[in-house]
Order: sequence, then C-alpha cells, then structure tokens
Amino acid sequence: MSSLSFWRTYPLLAKNQYRASLRQMKSQQGWFMRIVIALMMVYSAFILLTLGFFFDRFSAELWPGTNPVDVVNRSLLAAFVSLFFIRFLLQKTPRMKIVPYLHLPIGRWTMISFFQSTSLLSIHNFYPLLFFIPFWMRYIVVEGSLTGHSMWIGAVIMLILTSHFANLLLRSILQRRATLFYLLMTLFIATTFVDETAGIGLQQRASEYLFSHILSGDLLSLGLLFMLTAFVMTASTILLFQSINKSEDSARNTRARVRSFEVPSEWGLHGQLVRIELLLMWRNRRPRHYLFVSLLFSTMYLIFMMGSPMAFSGAAFGAILGLFASGGFALNYGQLMFGWDSTHYPAFLSRNVSFQAIVRAKLTVLQLSCLVLFVASLPLFIWLRPNLVPVHFAFLFYNAGVTTVLIMELASRNRQRVDIGKSGGFFNYEGFSAKHWLWFIPTALPPLLFLIVMDGSPRLGLIILAALGFTSLLLTQGWTRYFARGLMARKHRMLEGFQESAR
Amino acid sequence: MKRYGEKVALDIPAWDLQAGEVLGLVGRNGAGKTTFLRIMLDLLRPDRGHVKLDGRAHSSDMSWRARTGSFLDRSFLIEYLTIPEYLEFVGTTFGLSRREIAHNLESFESFLPISRVDRSRLIRDLSTGNAKKVGILAALFVNPEFVVLDEPFANLDPPSQIQLKEQLSSMASNNGTTMIISSHDLAHVTEVCGRITLLEAGKIQQDLETSEQTLSDLQSFFSKHHTASAT
Repeated sequence: MSSLSFWRTYPLLAKNQYRASLRQMKSQQGWFMRIVIALMMVYSAFILLTLGFFFDRFSAELWPGTNPVDVVNRSLLAAFVSLFFIRFLLQKTPRMKIVPYLHLPIGRWTMISFFQSTSLLSIHNFYPLLFFIPFWMRYIVVEGSLTGHSMWIGAVIMLILTSHFANLLLRSILQRRATLFYLLMTLFIATTFVDETAGIGLQQRASEYLFSHILSGDLLSLGLLFMLTAFVMTASTILLFQSINKSEDSARNTRARVRSFEVPSEWGLHGQLVRIELLLMWRNRRPRHYLFVSLLFSTMYLIFMMGSPMAFSGAAFGAILGLFASGGFALNYGQLMFGWDSTHYPAFLSRNVSFQAIVRAKLTVLQLSCLVLFVASLPLFIWLRPNLVPVHFAFLFYNAGVTTVLIMELASRNRQRVDIGKSGGFFNYEGFSAKHWLWFIPTALPPLLFLIVMDGSPRLGLIILAALGFTSLLLTQGWTRYFARGLMARKHRMLEGFQESAR
Repeated sequence: MKRYGEKVALDIPAWDLQAGEVLGLVGRNGAGKTTFLRIMLDLLRPDRGHVKLDGRAHSSDMSWRARTGSFLDRSFLIEYLTIPEYLEFVGTTFGLSRREIAHNLESFESFLPISRVDRSRLIRDLSTGNAKKVGILAALFVNPEFVVLDEPFANLDPPSQIQLKEQLSSMASNNGTTMIISSHDLAHVTEVCGRITLLEAGKIQQDLETSEQTLSDLQSFFSKHHTASAT
C-alpha cells in the first residue's frame, strides 16, 4: 500500500489535531479554572509588554548606568535556560500524538515533520515574544544597522526554537535513558552553580559576547547559534523517529529484566502489600522518577541551597528545607497513592484485602520514605548547616506523622485515573487536578507559618512540631481506621471515577 | 437495578443461586452481563436492590471475599508484577502459605505451566491470552467456594479451553464450587454449566436447567434475534 501524499496527509492530521485540542480544552478544566487561567495569562501578557516597552526604567533601578540592551544581551542565555525549565515542566512531546497514526499508510517522516512543526504552536514559543518584540522595537531598532537588528531578533527566535526542541530532545533522553538525563542535568546544575558561586560569570559573558556581536552584524556568531538550533532540532527529530519505531515493537516483546525481592512469610498480607507498593515504585517510570527526584532534592539540591552564597536563612527557609528534605517523596508520590492503583483497583477490591490493610501498607511506605530521605540528607545538614539539624529532626517526626496523614486525606479522595504503564515520567500531570495543587496550601503552609510565628522561641516551635508528629505517629492505627472507613464509603465512586476517566 | 443515565443496564427483580450450582450467563453485547457480575462482586453499586450472600448483604459483610475467586478483566491483574509475585499475593489474601500456594498450583500445571514460565516477565508484557490464563488461574488455584468469571474462554487457545472446561467441571463436581460464568461461547457454557440465564437488555429473558436441547434452543434464539435485528 502506498503512503498518502504530503498534501493529503497534512490537512487530515491538522483537522484531527484541531478536533483533539478543542475537545481537550472542553474536558480538562472547569469554568472557574478557565477564568483564573485566562486572567493570569492576560496579567502576564500585560507585565511582559510593559517590561518590553519600558525596560529602561526597570534596568535603571537594578543596574543603574547600564545600557538596557547590554543588560538584556548579558541575560539572554540565562533567561532562555529558565524558560526552558518552565517548558520542561509543562510542555509535552508529540510522541503520544503520533502513536495512533502508526498503522495508517502515512509516511513516518511526513508524520514526524507535521507533529514537530505543529508542536511549535505552543504558547511557550509566543509569550517570550511579548517582551522581545516591544524591546526590539524600542531599544534595538534605534541602535546599529538594519542587518544588525534584523539578525538580533532572528537570534532571539532561534533561541526560542532551540529551547523548544531542546525540551523535546531532553524528554526523549529522559524517556529512553533516564540515567544519562539525570547525569546531564546534574552536570549542568553543578556547572551553573560553580559559575555563579565562584563569580566567574561565564554564562553572562558568553551571552553578552554572542548577542552584542550579532547586533553588530557578525555573521559568524549568528552562524554558531544557527548551528546549535539546527543540531538540537535534528537530534530531537531523529530521537522522535527512533522512539516511535521502538514503540511499534510490541511492548509484549520487550523482556526487561526485572529484579524482585521476597518478604518474610511472617509479615503476611501486610508484607505483601508493602512489597507490591515498593515494586510499583520501582517498575513504573513515573513513580520511580518521583523517587529519584526526591532523593536528588534531599542530596544534590540541598547542597546548592544550603551551600548557596546567598545565605538563605530564617524560619521560613528552615521550614521549607525541613518539609521537603524528608517529606519530598510523600508530598509528590503520596498525592496519587490510590491513583497509582486505579488501573488495578479491582485486583484489591475483589479479594480478601481490607481497606485497613491497604491503608496500613501505604502509610508504612510513606512513613518509611520520610526516614530514608532523612537519613540520606542528615550528613548534608551536619556538614553545611549544623544549626538546621534540629529543624531536620523535628520535620522527620512532623512529616512522618502529620504530612503523610494530610497527603493520605487528599489521596483517598482521588477519583482520577492514572494509567501507570503509560503515564510517562516525572513531568507528567495525569491524575492531578487543581485540588492537588491547592492541597499544598494546608499541607505546607501551617508548619511554615507556625515556625515564623514562633521565631522568637524557635526551639519551642520545633519541639511542638516534633511532638505533634510523634503523637500523630502513635495514632497511626486510628488514622488507618479513619481512612479505611472513608475509602469503604467512597469505594464505588472511586471505582467509577477510575473507569470513567479511562474512557 | 442499575441505570446509566436514561438507559437501564440491569433490571432483575429477584434472582437466586443455590450453593453448588454452576450458572452460565449468556446474552448479546451490552445485555448487562458484566454489569451483573460487577454488582455481584460489589464493584458497582446498584441504584436499587442488593445482593445477599448466605443471607448477608455483601456490601457490608466482606467475608465472602475470602471465599470467592473472580476474574472479569485485566484490571484484576496487577500488571507490574511477575506471575509468581501476583499469585503469591493472591494466595496470601486467602491465607495460604508459600508451600500451599506451590502445592495448589501443581494441579494447574498443564493450564499454565508455572514451573516453566519466565519468572522475570511482568504480566503487562504477556499476550492477551496468557494474561487471561493468569487471571483465571488466580481465581481458581485458591480453591474458592464461589467463582465468578467473565468470558473465560475468549482469547484462549483450543487446548487451554478444553483444559479449563475440565478444570471447572472437576471443581464443580469434586468440590461443589458455586460458579457464575459469563460467556458468548454457547457450546462451552452449555457443556460446563447446569443452569443458563439469558440476559436481554438488562432483563432475564430465560432461566433454564441445561439439557441436551439447550444449545440448539440458545442458537435458535440468537439466530432469530439476529434476523429480527437485521430486518
């Protein structure tokens, strides 16, 4: 069978994508959230436009006596790296959109070029222009030659494209070779950290050199940037091609070697359920990424935060560190504690497994995660900020006792399905709703506010927090019964929700 | 009774099953068979009415779960486990020790040769047929008093279908296991089940003891119905 021509394929795919995005928009958010998002977008657009048109006033405040163009040229690389991280959190790759078309007589490259090009229609590629175009009109066009300022705006567009395709590229690497991805990210963060703390400012100098040369009409500098853009674009396209070919090889034929572990028979059903929860974490990419990222936070990231020359201090800083250093995994993974089971929830409910047993196993895992992260990060606290060790101790009890319970309260009301086998990696929000983001407020804010209020007698504040956590830990059995009752009452609604969101 | 919006998915005023009975549930697609089974297993709440097991409402008294083996679809499997891990979990829920689990599995060796199975292979990497065998095996190897299976013969190769029929018949005659088996395979279901309930648009159309005549009666019912729908 011959492939459909390029001219017939593009309109066909475009029509389908238009329908899909229209339906996604309708189904994803309620009216309230849509209004909130729209207001936020208008507000951000207004800020960016204002900043672009009146950047001199802004730069005069922060960098008095410096030409606004120099300020922007110096910050361009850093700004795009930051924008890249936002993209990485929010923007998805087109891979999943391609999969349903693989069996159709459409050429692979035609399909890839279509989805790679349409991925450019992302809002992330447009909102930086709300700053750059006014800035260019107001400050760049008046400087230098026509060639120079045309090249400058061209370079900015190339940076946007580089950042766009770098996101697709890195996501592909994360999907296929997670270790390499984490190594690259760690290397990048470490280099940036050293560059900043040692006062080398290599990134700023490179940025200033590149963009001031481009502005003066230097074709070599533009050529360098063009090569970078072309490289990232080609590499992401090739990896996308490889990944869809790989996805076509039936998953059933992939026989990944799996490691298992036994639990003593004496641990009975509780041991089995804890084992199942640990295997869930280990054998599914997204929960595994939560685990790695939490470990990374409790080790590498803590070094950056605690060793930062900016010398963060104060009760709020301590509370944030304490909360996330030992409670990071519970806060991230725990929110979807029942969502992870949504595809196989009947496997528990149709068997002689009580809700109490399920909750007890889940609480055990969450509480243990706090202990593991506490132990992993304790040496760093001792090394870098010994004064924060009591905070770390207090939060171990608070997180294990209170945070886990608050997270379970949210998780046990979850009715959103998470297809764990297909749910991708860490930066995937399937199963999350606005409620999950809002739940951070009652979970993270009270200890933070409490420690700020108790700033006068911090030791007493920490003792109270730890005592609260300890008391709650002693009440684990009571919490287990409480959650089990709630789950029992909601079991049919949860099951229906898990099934409905699968359709 | 169970409704989905305006549509009545199931409407059964009264129905009972005696201990030791093997019931075949037949009907067209969308007749309400799976809804019926899900309600039986307390995975779906009826809008009206209830299910009683041994005189106790099964949604409040969970003791029936310790005596019931069931498999409706892949959601009954924990797909990121290997076959031995999954069967160990199921066995533990029935209070079986590792030795008892291994012993019970021996009698199913020809249906799914656990001793020769790749122990490091995850259930999600199995073919549809093999995953189904794992689900059926998990429902049966624990020697339950009550078995609920949805379409157990579909997707199985012919030797496995024959072995399954023999296994079900042996459990019914030797252990007195009560069963509800939903199937589109009229030949298999009439061979294994002593009683057939025919569902049509959520209602019980026929409820009869299986005889030599049942298969041809069912075939003529469905062929008439097919002709009626076609015209």
